[in-house]
Amino acid sequence: MGSSAPRFPVTCKNFSLDIKGNKTDVVLCSYDDHFLVIATQIGAMGTILHARKEEGVSIEPTFNVSSIFGKRDEPMLLACARQLIEHISTSGSSKSLVLSLGLKDHSVETLRGIVSAVIDNCLW
Amino acid sequence: MASGGSDVDALNQALTSAHIFEGKQRQQLLQQPDLNHKGVDAEEENGAGLEITCFSDVFNDVPLHFQILRLPKQIYVWIGCSSAKLGNLYAAAPTRPKDTVSVTSILGGTSDNTGTGIARRLVLKTGLNVILASNIPKNSPMLEAEAEKLLVQKLIHLGYTRQKAEQSSS
Repeated sequence: MGSSAPRFPVTCKNFSLDIKGNKTDVVLCSYDDHFLVIATQIGAMGTILHARKEEGVSIEPTFNVSSIFGKRDEPMLLACARQLIEHISTSGSSKSLVLSLGLKDHSVETLRGIVSAVIDNCLW
Repeated sequence: MASGGSDVDALNQALTSAHIFEGKQRQQLLQQPDLNHKGVDAEEENGAGLEITCFSDVFNDVPLHFQILRLPKQIYVWIGCSSAKLGNLYAAAPTRPKDTVSVTSILGGTSDNTGTGIARRLVLKTGLNVILASNIPKNSPMLEAEAEKLLVQKLIHLGYTRQKAEQSSS
């Protein structure tokens, strides 16, 4: 091994917060082409969503958000992913987002709490 | 009274294993500085968040990077080969009744099975659901095998694998 070990190429952030009485663990990772956000209250990754910006001709960007694993009928989860990908896009990054939500409830307050916690600690 | 005793036993067991995780985590800290160090510090302050283990190795001049995230009921693993792209995402889980394993590609995968084999064997070794992200290129079985070997070594070292009566230690 050399005198200075190279830095690990993926940046990670890891914290825990309380949302409506539920302990929520959040992990953020920044890869070359994706951001990974995991927010869990249930000890598992739960539903995994994928959100990406579509390259188009118009000035307004469009986004594609879909659930790739787990629940497919929870619009609040899609809305959460949509908010985060839009924030990523307005911050100037064109990376896609993989969002994993393992939550005890899908109420507006919980998701709002998650979105604000992620934005406060964002890696973009 | 009897049920109370078994509850206390379970609690003791959980606390003991949590303590072992913490000890091993600190060992990791000494080897991996920088941002991951900060992340783990914050987690200790917040009262045990999630443990992420990051490490790198080189095989035949190809850098391999690994991330292992241990959730109570699941494991997330990322394998990076040269680059830090997320790669293809696979989900694997033990399937009743026969202790078999189901694997599926959930992002990016085509019909190749570069990551499916690794994901399947990780479930067999750990007994937990596994989400694997891997950007190992197709048609490199040597690289795949080496990456899996390094990963399993680390999982055993961290204590995430199931105790098998005959095998395990070597």
